[in-house]
Amino acid sequence: MADDPKGPIVDLMLLTGLLASGVRFAMPLLFAALGETVGQKSGVLNVGLEGIMLVGAFLAVAFSVATGSPWGGLLAAILGGAAMGLLHGLFAVRLKVDQIVSGLALILLGLGLSGFGYRLVFAGNQTVRVLGFERIDLGPLSDLPVLGPLLFSHHALAYLGLVMAVGLWWILTRTGLGLTIRAVGENPAAADSAGIDVDKVRMRCAAFGGAMAGIGGAYLSTAQLAGFVEDMVAGRGFIAIACVVFARWNPLGVLAVALIFGIADAGQIRLQPLFPQVPYQFFIILPYVLALVALAGAARSSSLPMALGQPYRKA
Amino acid sequence: MTPKFRLPALDRDSRLALMVLGVGALALLGLIALAGESPLRVLAILIGDGFLTRASLADALVRSIPLTLTGLGVALSFRAGVFNIGADGQLLIGAALAVACAPMLGPFPSGLSLPLLLLAGAVGGAVWGGIAGILKAQFGANEIIATIMLNYIAIQLVSWLIRGPLQEPMGIFPRSDKLASSLRLPVLFDGTRISAGLIVAALACVAVWFLVAHSRYGYALTVTGKNPDAARYGGIRPAVIAFSVLCLSGGLAGLAGIVEVSGLHGRLQEGFSGGIGITAIAVALLARLNPPWVPVAAFGFAGLYVGSDAVARITAVPFPLVHVIEGAIVLAFLVLQTLPRAHGR
Repeated sequence: MADDPKGPIVDLMLLTGLLASGVRFAMPLLFAALGETVGQKSGVLNVGLEGIMLVGAFLAVAFSVATGSPWGGLLAAILGGAAMGLLHGLFAVRLKVDQIVSGLALILLGLGLSGFGYRLVFAGNQTVRVLGFERIDLGPLSDLPVLGPLLFSHHALAYLGLVMAVGLWWILTRTGLGLTIRAVGENPAAADSAGIDVDKVRMRCAAFGGAMAGIGGAYLSTAQLAGFVEDMVAGRGFIAIACVVFARWNPLGVLAVALIFGIADAGQIRLQPLFPQVPYQFFIILPYVLALVALAGAARSSSLPMALGQPYRKA
Repeated sequence: MTPKFRLPALDRDSRLALMVLGVGALALLGLIALAGESPLRVLAILIGDGFLTRASLADALVRSIPLTLTGLGVALSFRAGVFNIGADGQLLIGAALAVACAPMLGPFPSGLSLPLLLLAGAVGGAVWGGIAGILKAQFGANEIIATIMLNYIAIQLVSWLIRGPLQEPMGIFPRSDKLASSLRLPVLFDGTRISAGLIVAALACVAVWFLVAHSRYGYALTVTGKNPDAARYGGIRPAVIAFSVLCLSGGLAGLAGIVEVSGLHGRLQEGFSGGIGITAIAVALLARLNPPWVPVAAFGFAGLYVGSDAVARITAVPFPLVHVIEGAIVLAFLVLQTLPRAHGR
């Protein structure tokens, strides 16, 4: 390679392409994980992200076709996701049932509702053209070598994801609202005696988490891919939860971890043709293996919200 | 002296719970109406074709075999507060290991080779569950995510195996060779597909019931699930419980996998686990994690699937409605659990 003057340039282009698609692959995880971070910070554990993302992915496709705009689809996904988050809140926060079991029910509901809706609306019609998100063209910036594809040629949603990661970090660590959310998740009894309506804060955080998972699903079906396939989320809802744990409930950390997963996912696809002698299945499992490693490496963290998963009952 | 019947005075939470139940039921009927069908007709087909004909009863029994075995495993792990939701992967790996071992079982007499085959399935599932167990016990990894990740890894491993080392000699279809007839669980009733797997499932029920109700280990499971701190104080090590119960739970799922292959499909192929693991969660919860009720709940959900197949075939209501119903059943179960508490039992 050293003799070939084009070598380094080709390598750089490969690397740029890898990182750029890594950013795109990271976004569904990022949105879902940011929402879950806020939910868990307030003490609500939602293991049903997978189901919510499925519903978001389906609604985004159905409503971008119906309204003729991906933004219409996004809005539907946000509303649908928030509704499912509220449903989880109704059971986990208001009725105070087992949060894990309620989350498991969301997975079943999401699987069922998205598959039901898909077969009903599209009736197996594979040729529906889905209006997806266009990449933003920032003119000369997008044409820059390396930096152009890496930073200035993504979907509008990707920039929203970056802004939300920074914004949520700021809100959670630097504002009164963030303090309220953390107080409710760390010590609900103290928050209650300080006059905070614990259940109300948790319900809102659960709805927010659901809406974010809905956006993650919408990104998957209308920006990363173009269309809905049953069970298309393929474990991303659970990887998103692993991101939250590995990032120790810090939104900026979530951004970094989601990017690592996105790059790993983009990388395994690019590695497949380079090693034709290795069965392709061994590349597909890479992100899942990475999630296992991340879980094993990051658990038992002191950043775990103290009252996570515990319903609050007034004394 | 006839006591006058009076509705118990309901507090705010119970009223909310009942309202949720009512709205949920209406929403389900609404979904059916959305598909342009009469909810009554769909319900009639669901029950009639799910439970009330000879053929559908037989079909439901066939489906309840793997659901019972995996449901028992899920119930065991949930009892210990360990959420094994990756029975699908354990089922696949169990079936794959057993099929891989099958050629080695040739020399054994047939009375021995079939039990060895089933054992290999259980071992495969136990290893797959045990990986999640080590990650949890040793590193504190969350078993919900770990077992699901292992599901996706198992699917890819089996996809490779049946296109590589375990593929049928013809090398055309992505599937394994047929098991030798000595390694097949016999059909119990002529004209049906009900295999001796039914007996395996029944034996497993008795064994798991004994384990839970009459062994020190079963007691340790329950104590750990109810109150880990008390368990620790009583000399039980929750990490050991978590690891062992994930092995056991995975072993039962692996057994279900090889019973499906040996009793029904005859070979390893893709997609035969399809969602058994997640339905097993609903089965275990509805049985209130009690082994004797697991086969009953499994049969109920098996009938629901058979009925839903008929509904999707005859009417315009798509099949995935069955998952919505499963989710609704789990939520309804959760709501009903809150009621006695609200009454100050």
